[in-house]
Amino acid sequence: MDLTWSDEQEMLADAAAAFVRRECPPERVRAIEASDGGHDQPLWDAMAELGWCGLALPVEHGGSGRGVLEVTVLAEQLGRGAVPSPLLDSTALAALPIAWAGSDAQRARLLPALAAGRSIGTLAVLEPGMTDAWGDVSVPGGTRISGQKLLVPWAHVADVLLVASSSGLYLLEAARTAWDSVSHDAFAGEPLFAVTLLDACTEPLGSPERPAGPETTHRVLDTAAVVRLAYAVGAAEACLDLAVRHASQRVQFGRPIGTFQAVAHRCVDMRVEIDACRYLAFQAAWSLEREDRAAPLEVTAALTYARGALRRVFLDAHQVHGASGFSTESDLHLFTRRLTEFEITFASSRRHPDLLATAMGLS
Amino acid sequence: MDFAVDPADARFRDDLRALLDGTLPDWWRGMFVDDPRAIPFTREFCRALAAREWLTLAWPAEHGGAGASAWTQAVLREEMWAAEEPRGPQYMNLNYIGPLLMRYGTPTQRARFLPPMARGEVIWCQGFSEPDAGSDLASLRTRARLVEDHFLVDGTKIWTSYADAPADWCLLLARSELAADRHDGISVFLVDMTTPGISVRPIDTMAGPHEFNEVTFESVAVPRDCLLGEAGRGWELVAAGLTFERVGIARYARAARVLEHLVTHANESGQSRDPRVRARLAELRASCEAARLLAYRAVSLQARGVVPTVEASIARIHATRLEQEVGHAGLELLGPLGLLRSGDPVAPLAGEVQRHFVRNIPTTVAAGTLEIQKNIVARRGLGLPRET
Repeated sequence: MDLTWSDEQEMLADAAAAFVRRECPPERVRAIEASDGGHDQPLWDAMAELGWCGLALPVEHGGSGRGVLEVTVLAEQLGRGAVPSPLLDSTALAALPIAWAGSDAQRARLLPALAAGRSIGTLAVLEPGMTDAWGDVSVPGGTRISGQKLLVPWAHVADVLLVASSSGLYLLEAARTAWDSVSHDAFAGEPLFAVTLLDACTEPLGSPERPAGPETTHRVLDTAAVVRLAYAVGAAEACLDLAVRHASQRVQFGRPIGTFQAVAHRCVDMRVEIDACRYLAFQAAWSLEREDRAAPLEVTAALTYARGALRRVFLDAHQVHGASGFSTESDLHLFTRRLTEFEITFASSRRHPDLLATAMGLS
Repeated sequence: MDFAVDPADARFRDDLRALLDGTLPDWWRGMFVDDPRAIPFTREFCRALAAREWLTLAWPAEHGGAGASAWTQAVLREEMWAAEEPRGPQYMNLNYIGPLLMRYGTPTQRARFLPPMARGEVIWCQGFSEPDAGSDLASLRTRARLVEDHFLVDGTKIWTSYADAPADWCLLLARSELAADRHDGISVFLVDMTTPGISVRPIDTMAGPHEFNEVTFESVAVPRDCLLGEAGRGWELVAAGLTFERVGIARYARAARVLEHLVTHANESGQSRDPRVRARLAELRASCEAARLLAYRAVSLQARGVVPTVEASIARIHATRLEQEVGHAGLELLGPLGLLRSGDPVAPLAGEVQRHFVRNIPTTVAAGTLEIQKNIVARRGLGLPRET
């Protein structure tokens, strides 16, 4: 047991933090968000150059062979800068599932490009009427697939689209078939799309005899949730940084407001909740990486805890900022949107506390 | 980062549980109860632990310990606190009074005081708070005047647990000199509680008797060789001691144990299918997990030789709140019968939850209030400005 980072993890975190500070300061985040499509190719290329697209992918397919824990270490630093990038989704929602459950041919065909950043992947799960990403989907699988999927991140730039169907995960490739993406009007941190599939040409992930079933979808969602949680923890850390800076500089009643305990203690509450979420995320990532039996429950515990905790953090940051935090002239909103998106898409599911309750022995 | 549990530590946990199962009497409800058997039992239990070399498990071998890792020690304190701390008052010796002696004591002091602790034969209490010096501990007024070969101590200490156990020794904070900086001039003394001039007045509490005492010192002669560390430098010594203490108690382990009782009760009372009950208990379970990891972070730093001042306070802030929340949830689950105490034959869960709730009302006050902990994190952890 040791909850401090290894030298390698420390180096990765430092490198990522330095990259984010240098290449993606808040001005660039704003510029990317304001741009058409919200995708910054040079930024993507720079991250691909650093090998981050293939961080957790197998070495034989051009990856670095590191694990989910490393991806969370990276995710936390990207979250700190609110970096708008399909990197984490492409890794957790598409590349890793292909590495885990794809057929040899699919792995050989798709992974090298995903690992090198020459292609981008994403996953479509939610459908109209669903309140939980882990819930039952109704789009039927098949060699042709039709239906509507909602809140699909980065669907407009994806080359590979995984689709959760009632019979498992299906694979669509932009080179072979087309899908229609319409941008949502969302209070979110990344571009989200309504995707309509009309008789799209697909194949099951895995071999036709042994396609990846719903258990793979759950593993993918668990992993993506933990990676997103780490990103959210980074974003929450940024909220705290901004709050502390504001509380140290803003003078009222003749003194910095951070000298008032009512303000200072609010910042401490944020510190406690962020740290709690952080170690819950790392523990779950560590277990996911090892395919440990405890992993699903650790994910569940992390999400159950994070759902209220991270909301309290960004709302506390807003309270400390006063009116200025509500203005988009402050950077706070960059993080508020991301934290809201995380909470609603991954942490709001009633399934998690209920699973945990069952595991505790509640009949 | 490594979340794997050492198999040897897992075995140790099983061994400890077996010992607890075989040793704890049915009537055992912790040390703060109106039962004359409680304190003698804790002495007996400490001797039993000492016989297995588990009492001073984490102490270095040169001081009579087993030199076990910080993680083995964490297992020990989880199991002890979950079982209502059967080491009784002596947990303080092991967690921080002993380590303070190792770090600041003279060879003579170490040779004199550590072996009885290691044998489980001595009870210490701590004389820190005073009637007019609580959170503002540096304003303490107990005086120690050097007169020839000894100090003469006058003053009053309050909220002193275990003094009526009776404690054999007291780790006492007193002002030995008036200094420009209020944190200077405070010294730490090792005081024999049988010295003439010491009187102990028990203070009754909502949780029952034997929780607190007021201890007065009237011209109490303390030999010079019972000064711990340098005269006037006691503040930094106490700060180090309190950091050991804050990670020294595995509060989340007790919260998790009470939560297990609540699950049993929810199943038996048919409330386990209520989605609100399920969600509430699950949230508390997740919070126990978070508390454990926050404590483990502090332990990880300790294991690397870092004094985790800020991290220990963060862990304590989280864990004390959790202990209280579990009590609140328990009372809500039990309903009106939650008022009944262990003495009542129809008390649900034998009054356990009621007691947990009441016992934890002052949890966010003891060993540095929640607000003082938050001040530590605000200034030292976040770098927020001090009041000018």
